[in-house]
Amino acid sequence: MTGPDTGGPPPDAAPGLAGGPHGDLPEAAVRRLESSAFSSGLTVPDFAACLDLGLEPVALVQGFCVMQWGWYGSGSGYMRGMSPFAAASQNAGAYSETYQCPHGFVGADHRMWGQNLEQSWVEAAWAQGYGSSYGRMVEEAEQHGAHGIIGVVDRVSNVADTGTTEFHFLGTAVTVKGGPPPAGGVPWSTFLAGQRLTKSIEAGFMPVAVVASMASVRVWAYCMTEYLMEGNYNWAPPRPVPVDQVSRAHMAVRQLARKHVRQMLAGDELHGAMIDIAHRELSQGDEVIDCTLRGNRMRRFKDYDEVALPRPTVRLA
Amino acid sequence: MSAIPAPDLRAEMLRGAQSMAAAAPPSHERGITSDLSVDEALLIHAAGWEPLDLVCGVGVVSVPAGVWNWGRGMIDSASDSHDASVDIAAQQLRAECGKVKGHGVVGVRVEVSVHPHHVDVELVGTAVRPIHRKDPRGDDAALAMPFVSDLSARDFTLLLRAGWMPVGLAFGASFVYAPRRTAGTAMRQSTQNVELTNYTQAMYAARESAMEKMQRSALNVGGEGVVEVKVTEGPMRFARHAIGFTAWGTAVKLVAEEHQFVRPDMVLPLDDAVVQFEAESLRGTGSKGRRHR
Repeated sequence: MTGPDTGGPPPDAAPGLAGGPHGDLPEAAVRRLESSAFSSGLTVPDFAACLDLGLEPVALVQGFCVMQWGWYGSGSGYMRGMSPFAAASQNAGAYSETYQCPHGFVGADHRMWGQNLEQSWVEAAWAQGYGSSYGRMVEEAEQHGAHGIIGVVDRVSNVADTGTTEFHFLGTAVTVKGGPPPAGGVPWSTFLAGQRLTKSIEAGFMPVAVVASMASVRVWAYCMTEYLMEGNYNWAPPRPVPVDQVSRAHMAVRQLARKHVRQMLAGDELHGAMIDIAHRELSQGDEVIDCTLRGNRMRRFKDYDEVALPRPTVRLA
Repeated sequence: MSAIPAPDLRAEMLRGAQSMAAAAPPSHERGITSDLSVDEALLIHAAGWEPLDLVCGVGVVSVPAGVWNWGRGMIDSASDSHDASVDIAAQQLRAECGKVKGHGVVGVRVEVSVHPHHVDVELVGTAVRPIHRKDPRGDDAALAMPFVSDLSARDFTLLLRAGWMPVGLAFGASFVYAPRRTAGTAMRQSTQNVELTNYTQAMYAARESAMEKMQRSALNVGGEGVVEVKVTEGPMRFARHAIGFTAWGTAVKLVAEEHQFVRPDMVLPLDDAVVQFEAESLRGTGSKGRRHR
């Protein structure tokens, strides 16, 4: 699983757009970044807080990547791993659970087995898009000798109904006045800016990188799940029954997303985690559940200073 | 409360930057994950607690076929499905909290979606534990039954300070068919402005039923009351003749000998009223100027 904090585009990323010493930056970006004026995406209060911290804005930096989603229909090579008896054979270690029909043979349309299957190829494609756009933003910042990127905004959106998805990163590259460059020259990054960043630093947490992962699980319903999710009059029991296959798929996708992010933390902490679920019911109880988890990877650089409990107040206005 | 001197922010930032100048040694420690904001994390730490892990719970329970068809009175099967989904999700949340030795989960985000054939409940929050001091409920009791609370870290801190503890999520739901009048009654009342007593009674009863279930679930987890109660109501989007009511909040229990009065300081903001100039007033068409606070 590649993540944004691994830095740099993957080997099969798009070839350079401008080439030369500026890597794959577009020519307009090279001209803009060579200008003597700095640019910043910070609000005025965030800008003021940034200066108070001794951070100097260098440039507004950004990264993009447009990905196409392949077709995973019946017969597609990507659907290998669907089997009533085995775990996903093409992805060792991927999550897979199978469910067997309790009825025996009923008819040709009776779904005698079901499977929850981690779609690791979807996760890898998402990680490639997210990682590439992040890497390009970091590359812009690196070329300016920036030490970090603050106030990062990421956006994942569909491009004009063309079956493609654009990953977009934006942030303000900064240098720490009098500070050493980060290890390997790769700037640190964070979604935080302004007072929230100030408070984190004050509390002893230094941003390392924005981290994100996506987990995707396909529910291939067996007969019981189909009847329960579709309200089949003939087969579904006349009382509420837990739909185990779907419940377990929902839990699995959340656990996988957390597992992927945890692998990127390497002992650091994840602050301000945001978890989002995209859930598509297909038909006959089948579903696709995608879970994205993003947050700030932070490293403790000093012991937690004592923080006094704030005094409760009542505002007389 | 002793005043803590303000740190030199630039020096702190420099110190942070210096820590990033060298690559971190490889670590196999399980890093903390949390969905708390910076403010919340600091506040909860100031109260003597620390975040441990982001935890989730999901429950999906079927709704028996045909329950949304026209009928009379309460739709008990749908309410049962709802309650069962919440129970399953809360159990999973507690189990995940238990795995990281958490004493409870704060800031739980509750998402409920009712579909024609199933009810889905998702709970996401941050597992926490006390840092130095002991849990007022006793460590063994707390580990055996971690609390689940949808209170924010701010409200959790304030509650602790007042001598109370959250003990669990209290939930209640009820669904009811919108009652119908006979054709004769409808005809007779068509030209009158009258109260539809059957509607009033049905909705009154359904609301009370949801609240009663919520209070009962609070008592079941050992609570003495429920705070931050949220109430939702409205017709089902797939069956407009069925109305759903839900009520939930955090069940709380007094753990101090008596309630501790918080005695907040009063603050009088001295912001001046801003006189906002309106360009239209120059043309005499608008007001001459309004005072805004």
